[in-house]
Amino acid sequence: MLQQISNFFSKNRNFIPLMSTAVLALAAYGIGAYFFVGMRNPQVFFNLFRNSSFLLISGIGMTFVILTGGIDLSVSGVVALTTVASAVLLREGWNPWSVILLMLAMGMTLGAIMGSFIVYLKVQPFIATLAGMWFARGMCFFISDNVVAIDDHIFQILGKTKILIPGLTELAALQGNPAPYISIPVIVAFTLLIVVIYVAHYTRFGRTVYAIGGNEGRNEQSARLMGLPVNRTKMLVYTFNGFCSALAGLSFSLFVASGHGLYASGFELDVIASVVIGGTMLSGGSGYVFGTFFGVLVLAVTQALIQFIGTLSSWWTKIVIGILTLIFIGVQTILANRKSGRQGTQTTQELLVVRRKRQRLALGLGTIVVLAVVAILSASQFGWFSFAETPAAAQCVIKPFREEEAASLIKDGAVIVYNRTAGPLCVDELFAIYPDGRVLGNDGVNKVEKQVDPAEVEQNLAKIVGEYKWFTGAIYGEYLTPCRQCFAHYVSISYEGQEKIVSQVDGTASMPLGYTLTLAVIRSMLPEINPAP
Amino acid sequence: MKKSAIPSFAWKNITESRLFFPLVALSLILLFDFIFIPGFFAIENREGNLHGSLIDIFRNGSTVMLLAIGMTLVIATGGVDLSVGATMAIAASMAGILMNPSALKNEVFFVTDPYYTFQPLWVVIVAALIVALICGLWNVVLVAYMRIQPMVATLILMISGRGIAQLITNGLRVQITYRPYAFLGQGWIVLPFSLYIVAIVLTITWIMTRKTAIGMFIESVGINFRSSFFSGIDEKKIKLLVYTFCGFCAGIAGLVASSNVRTSDANNIGLTTELDAILAVVIGGTSMSGGRFSLLASIVGALVMQAITQSMYAIGVPAFALQAIKAVVVIFVILLFSEQVRGFARGLTAQKKEV
Repeated sequence: MLQQISNFFSKNRNFIPLMSTAVLALAAYGIGAYFFVGMRNPQVFFNLFRNSSFLLISGIGMTFVILTGGIDLSVSGVVALTTVASAVLLREGWNPWSVILLMLAMGMTLGAIMGSFIVYLKVQPFIATLAGMWFARGMCFFISDNVVAIDDHIFQILGKTKILIPGLTELAALQGNPAPYISIPVIVAFTLLIVVIYVAHYTRFGRTVYAIGGNEGRNEQSARLMGLPVNRTKMLVYTFNGFCSALAGLSFSLFVASGHGLYASGFELDVIASVVIGGTMLSGGSGYVFGTFFGVLVLAVTQALIQFIGTLSSWWTKIVIGILTLIFIGVQTILANRKSGRQGTQTTQELLVVRRKRQRLALGLGTIVVLAVVAILSASQFGWFSFAETPAAAQCVIKPFREEEAASLIKDGAVIVYNRTAGPLCVDELFAIYPDGRVLGNDGVNKVEKQVDPAEVEQNLAKIVGEYKWFTGAIYGEYLTPCRQCFAHYVSISYEGQEKIVSQVDGTASMPLGYTLTLAVIRSMLPEINPAP
Repeated sequence: MKKSAIPSFAWKNITESRLFFPLVALSLILLFDFIFIPGFFAIENREGNLHGSLIDIFRNGSTVMLLAIGMTLVIATGGVDLSVGATMAIAASMAGILMNPSALKNEVFFVTDPYYTFQPLWVVIVAALIVALICGLWNVVLVAYMRIQPMVATLILMISGRGIAQLITNGLRVQITYRPYAFLGQGWIVLPFSLYIVAIVLTITWIMTRKTAIGMFIESVGINFRSSFFSGIDEKKIKLLVYTFCGFCAGIAGLVASSNVRTSDANNIGLTTELDAILAVVIGGTSMSGGRFSLLASIVGALVMQAITQSMYAIGVPAFALQAIKAVVVIFVILLFSEQVRGFARGLTAQKKEV
């Protein structure tokens, strides 16, 4: 039995990283669903895809680049450039379809230029694509300094269309949840994934890609000697990655409905990490596009878990992703070493030496990790700062929305009721705005009152309902537990006989733009409640 | 034949020198400044201290120069360290939190007394540098002992380093009000104080690599680690030295950078400086595949990067758009160094000689 299992593993050694990633992703989600009731909501599961469709698209292109033994750092720059350029072109009144085609062509051109530098001028991929990233990011600010909103009709349709999952709608209705859905970029990402899996494993081009990468660049030479079209393939790979970056940029701009040059900073690291976690060797030649899918899933689940845990700050995401990358790179290195070790013959004495060295290495590594952990813990928690007590906000208990109080205020004649909780100072503020311009606010302890111009209230309400489409499906509620730093908002608006309540959490990318703008309008009318010192 | 050979030999000596290309690049940029920006070379004397755009290039370039010193040695062994920016942020956070630990209580209070500090200056500096050394050690364990590609291994700290830095400062930007600390980046003794720090680090490194055998060991590891192993050089120990030293340099750079802006901002200190440092080394003529290196050329390379930045600011290019121009310059410089273009140029001159 054991023999069979070990045989099975050694036969499918190439699949080990991929399988472990898949298991990790599912296990992490399972653990999350066990501890947090909110995570069992099928919509949360589909949000994983909705929030990371651009990561998946970009990861697919990056997998090819890494398989050839190269790297592309320019993706984040191209993504930002795409968002800015498409937003500005749409503002100028271009046809949205031609904008999309133009953006894809732009991405491919940038990719092809970087590829030709790498292939024909032998510039290191790292440096050539780095310059590409700087160039793209710089160009963003030549085009526009500010955030440019996208309010084109077709882009809205592409970004906001909800695609219901057949069969799940009824199931969700039974549990009393709204019907779970995905968005169009998710469909695009999956289509691309399927096409690319076919290309990678069943075409001549795909096999050439695998032949080029690996073995510290020595395979490239063998591929060349075999007569494979190395230069052409590498050019194609970088061009394809440019295409993927532009496509990711388009789906990103659908997602945030705006464009800015600082969007997606550090995105290339996420992409590379998800490719590595998906089991692709960074030296190239080994890995699967399908693995990247699971790598993206691991990242998305990590993010969701940290959001759900709430007390952990968002920067833990970075640390966890770093640790996961380390583990996967370590596993790959061990596997690769074993492979090469098997080919050479080793005497027992050599093996003993190796084992002793490994023990010493493990000891050293352990010591360093322990030292680092102790240093950081002692720096941030105890010891050196005797007077630094537990951070106050760690004791912050996030209060539930005061829904009954809000309902009674609406009954009382208020047009807008706004309840805000959590945030860096752990607040719990409730405001009511009346049509006669009276604004009341309290945080449970202090009360404030302010008078604004009734015309302003009317004007803002018209803006919220008309321009930001409050009573339409464009504004939807999706309440998740807030993280410690971000606010949770509860807005109830009653206007011309209609009434709607929407609650959202800051920091979730699924927050609709209209909601953000509505909050900004409401906040402009609110008085300050001095928080108790 | 012999007569003509002597002057051409001397000319060749100059052009083949490692300092030649970076110096030409630097002087081209300064020439550009001289023509297009009036008053770029003006140096003022304020209370015995020298101020001016030219001095600013040196002062603002000091962090990149410090990083370039460490990076040169790492690249000479055939590796690369992408984590220096994150290490800078970690060191700066450590220093900031030791001087003003209010962030741990999740409150930002403003210290009015400019001589208030929670820990004495030497503790602050030593602790920050020790943390930076640990970062370097971490890298070397992955690179030398676990045999992970340097770019990949240091990428891990690059990804998670800023998270660690934010963990130290509890996610807040720590204001630095302690005046003696601010002297590191903002003080002047005739020349900016940070320049003296650069000079000291450079001198120590130069003595270490050029007056002892270490420099040669580093080069031999970079050229062929296998043959250097057979000649009795312990590659791992050399890498241990080089990467920890790079971490140490990044730590100093982090201290200088944070004292310069008087905040330790885990998100922004040292952002993308790892790229500046690597490019400085590449402009300085050290090959990315390892081998011969020149510390002085890297310093000049760092000055080239800073001079580009400074003169673009002087012309009025917005800070973010500057990246596009930098990218074009970098590609141009790298093409100058690429074997293809050099071979092409050599081919041209050779043909002329034949004709």
